[in-house]
Amino acid sequence: MTQEISSLMDGELEGREAEVALGACCGDEGLRRNWHLYHVIGDAMRGQAPSTLAMPRKVLEKLNAQPTVLAPRRRVPATVTRVALAAAASVATVGVVGWLGSQGASPVADPVVAKTSAPTASPLQPVASTATVPVPALNVQEYLVAHRQVPTPDLYRPVTNRTPATAVAR
Amino acid sequence: MKSAVRGRSLAVLALGVACGAQAGAPADALGWLQRAAEAARNASYAGTFVHSNGERTSTIRITHVSVNGDEHERIEALDGPPYEIVRRNEEMFCYFPDAKTVRLDRRVNARFFPSLFRAPADVIAHSYDVKLGNVEHVLGYDCRWIRLEPHDTSRFSERLCSEVGSGLVVRAKTLSVQGQVIEQYTFTDLKLGPQVARGDVKSIFEARVKQWITDAQPREEAKGVDTGWTVTSLPQGFEKVTELRRTLPGRPHPVSQLIYSDGLASLSVFVEPNGAPTRTAEASSEDGTTTFFVRPMGEQLVTVLGEVPLATAELVGRSVAHRP
Repeated sequence: MTQEISSLMDGELEGREAEVALGACCGDEGLRRNWHLYHVIGDAMRGQAPSTLAMPRKVLEKLNAQPTVLAPRRRVPATVTRVALAAAASVATVGVVGWLGSQGASPVADPVVAKTSAPTASPLQPVASTATVPVPALNVQEYLVAHRQVPTPDLYRPVTNRTPATAVAR
Repeated sequence: MKSAVRGRSLAVLALGVACGAQAGAPADALGWLQRAAEAARNASYAGTFVHSNGERTSTIRITHVSVNGDEHERIEALDGPPYEIVRRNEEMFCYFPDAKTVRLDRRVNARFFPSLFRAPADVIAHSYDVKLGNVEHVLGYDCRWIRLEPHDTSRFSERLCSEVGSGLVVRAKTLSVQGQVIEQYTFTDLKLGPQVARGDVKSIFEARVKQWITDAQPREEAKGVDTGWTVTSLPQGFEKVTELRRTLPGRPHPVSQLIYSDGLASLSVFVEPNGAPTRTAEASSEDGTTTFFVRPMGEQLVTVLGEVPLATAELVGRSVAHRP
């Protein structure tokens, strides 16, 4: 059923098949999670990952600590199973890149981040010489905020996450 | 009054604007430039402006009054997550209703429309040719274009449309070296003068903040410190405004920030430890006037961000050194 849902998202199912997949995705908790997960993956691949992810801090920290592997993606024949495979694989690679790039940045900032990494070491378009060198996506936004002194709410970290000594309660 | 406004003295000029003098326009382009800067500070105005810079666009509501020589200003984002910045002279109070936090900061050198620059006109004239352009009708006001053409290619050219009566800049454009508009501010509605009420600059969140958290760290940081870093190659006209250490999200240690300006354009140089994971290659990006250049330098990572062409950011970024 996981494959069907993946195919449904890609518009590869028709008529009865689509109905079955639609019915399944909304009925079962696990499949509904898959439906959601695949959309998040899809968004991340398109560079539209939400800036605030409902993920535990520890998970995010671990993801951040992961090196980004800059190796060309192996070509897999286009079959129905491919979509699910690609989706699963992108959790490990593209998903991480997307989050590194957009973490904390507002959606409008994403094109800049993407552009930034393009000329030298784009994680999505690997350069042979830099393969396997872990380079996180640049976050222009946080420097921009410091330079222009216009703090954006989605980048702002509440005081509770900062040094407690500097937090002055009113 | 007319002769006083035409006088060269800055103080007299400021007084003229403060009195709402409409007796006569300044005599020359530098006079217009100076008056535009003074009007952003001393005039009362309220309106909405659209700011577009490269791929980004935002809409901001601004209310500004001047009371006994003190500036009171409120800006509010009309799109995206809500926030509000209330400014009294250089003190900034930034309200984040979602985080229930008031962030305190001190304005250092940032560009805020319509107060895009605060340097005296003659300082700007060291790096730009200042000329007057034609008069245009904008939002029911007549405004005259002030054209700032850079003496070299290390900065962008600027166009300011200064309202004929008050001097306030109602529209501003920054042009690339190729002459394309890359950043633009324009009022879409504007009230000028006594129709702006003093109560309008009060924070809409202020009554609720008793339960909020106050974050005073940015203001402390803005006081500035000796970072130990310097830049050895600067384009003509650029001078250091200040240096400080800023806390950026997700970093265990503050980042050194040096701010340089030629009176109109500014750039920040950030120096921080290069690690986890170590960046080995240079990278850059340009979007609108925002240029970004990052470069590994031994154990350090140097980042330059500013409203300057990439060549300027690279020149500056490659000449960062320990202060002797």
